[in-house]
Amino acid sequence: MNVVRQLGNGVFSMNGREWSLLVACLVAIVIFSVASPHYATSGNAATVLRNSVELLLIGLGMTLLLAMGGIDVSIGIVMGLAAIAIGRVLGAGGNPLLALIAGPLVGALLGCVTATVVVIGRVPAIVGTLGLLGVYRTAVFVLLGGQWLSGLPSSLTEVLATSVLGVPVPALAITIAYLAVWLALRRTPYGLHLLAIGNSEEKARLSGIPVIKIRFMTFVVSGVLTGIAAMFYVATYRNVEMTIGSTLALDAIAAVILGGTSILGGRCSLIGTVLGVLLLRILQNGLLLIGVPSLWQPVVTGVLIIGVLGFEAVCNRLPLGRFQRARA
Amino acid sequence: MKTLRNLQGPALTLALLCALWLIVIVGLLALKPSVFNLGTVTTILQFSTILALVGLGQGLVIVAGGAGIDLSVGGAVSLSAIVAMLCLKLGLPPVLLPAVCILAGAMLGALNGWLVNGLALLPFIATLGTFFVYSGAALAVTGGAAQAGVPPWLLLWGRGVVMGIPLPFLTLAIPCFALAGLVLMSTAWGRWIYAMGFNERSARLVGIPVDRVRFILYALSGALAGAAGLVSIAWLGSGRPNIGQNLELESLTAAMLGGIAITGGRGGVGGVFAAVLLLVTLKTGLLQLNINTVWQVGIVGALLVFVLLADRLSQRWRS
Repeated sequence: MNVVRQLGNGVFSMNGREWSLLVACLVAIVIFSVASPHYATSGNAATVLRNSVELLLIGLGMTLLLAMGGIDVSIGIVMGLAAIAIGRVLGAGGNPLLALIAGPLVGALLGCVTATVVVIGRVPAIVGTLGLLGVYRTAVFVLLGGQWLSGLPSSLTEVLATSVLGVPVPALAITIAYLAVWLALRRTPYGLHLLAIGNSEEKARLSGIPVIKIRFMTFVVSGVLTGIAAMFYVATYRNVEMTIGSTLALDAIAAVILGGTSILGGRCSLIGTVLGVLLLRILQNGLLLIGVPSLWQPVVTGVLIIGVLGFEAVCNRLPLGRFQRARA
Repeated sequence: MKTLRNLQGPALTLALLCALWLIVIVGLLALKPSVFNLGTVTTILQFSTILALVGLGQGLVIVAGGAGIDLSVGGAVSLSAIVAMLCLKLGLPPVLLPAVCILAGAMLGALNGWLVNGLALLPFIATLGTFFVYSGAALAVTGGAAQAGVPPWLLLWGRGVVMGIPLPFLTLAIPCFALAGLVLMSTAWGRWIYAMGFNERSARLVGIPVDRVRFILYALSGALAGAAGLVSIAWLGSGRPNIGQNLELESLTAAMLGGIAITGGRGGVGGVFAAVLLLVTLKTGLLQLNINTVWQVGIVGALLVFVLLADRLSQRWRS
């Protein structure tokens, strides 16, 4: 029953956590606007939103993974590999529609690889994906052959930079993705199964939930979402550099944890992830504009992760803590 | 049956590692015979020192169980080296440099220990966070520049070689491993570490101070990372903010190759030692064959995945 209540709270309406994230976003915007004259411009707002596209999609997959008690630290480089595939298709003068298929396809394939190691091979997710991260990083270097993929044709950009009924395609894609996942969580048994696995994999298995199938599927879904993110990346920047996606996994984990999805599984919030992504990108952009070198970004993100989790841990100890974890 | 497996486990691992190591050496010999001289041995041991120290800490943290893992080791190596060199710049007497470096590492490790024990955060997420904080801070504080100004006597130690064996390896890595092996095999502490790794609940019930042991192990892993940072300073002649790069992956691979179970409670330091030598021989061999260094991280990562899958498969066959 606990799980059901959590699902209602987390996915449906805004809870205290999400309101406080919204307030934090607004406070950050006000502070940065005062601190830097370049901050509160429409151009900068567009930059922040533009920079959030990939992270919103990857964060959605990461939300599912973390809610299930999994993790994938290789996801940033998976986006890199998908972007290389798209770039190669475009560079060879391929049809942009073919490029649209290539991204999610490579993402799904790599999601299958990760799932095979982690789910079928029963390797702890963090260690398995760390090993795969190393393999994928070499793959990126080898596939790029030591130089950037740059000056790609604009055919994909022309497809993805359009608007449908006045809504930009990236916004539309993100909305559809979030709606689809929300429906799957809310209207199908998948949501309950996912959170039950997050709470206790053993109990979920004993109560007849197809644990292996659900876990495998979730890794593949995360891969597909990453492939879609790669599409928008290539469409926007029209190049693929060596270090592509190196901090994306950390950013996604931070955004999801900020959003209130429990790393111990059993609780997830899609609205929280959206707000977490926005807060993270607002902070990163604002700190850059007030003159903090970009080298500090991973430090800030790491401190955010530990800070939020530490804060929750302390709150949990207080009697009647508001962030009391649900443990069914 | 249990004792039989426990007896066989480490010995089997060691035998397998030796066989693998011989294959690497023979392969290298066939491809490039000119590599084999005392200089190469010295280089391999020199490179091994840092990984051996870090791998030892990693292995101990994992053996103690509770999903223990220390992903921050690489960041701790970089940051402790940088902190020590910055202290030197701020007027620290050079004599204290080694102590400050190891102490800085121990503090960073203690922070991990506190997050895991005090706040009850999951080890992998806590140390993933501190990994980015430590490695990011090392880069950000220095702007990526190496910190020079190492006292000459330290270089003498860091670059000294006795009978083909580098001094840091002889005076730091070997004693650390010998001591860790002794503690694990024949003291109550060693029993405690295995017991809590094997079954934490029973360990608590029989009165083992699980929390204290775990905290000390995380701090120890940090201190060993600090010692590795010291070796890097003394060997390279400067504190480099990116010296710990990829060490979290390499140390994990070394620990897993060395026969330590990711779930804790199984494995010993001898295997880790052999695995470190194997890994560094492999890396040096690839370097000698003029294979691009970007292949190293991929091969180490593939080894890690392979070892874990093989471990799971063999467990399934046994049961």
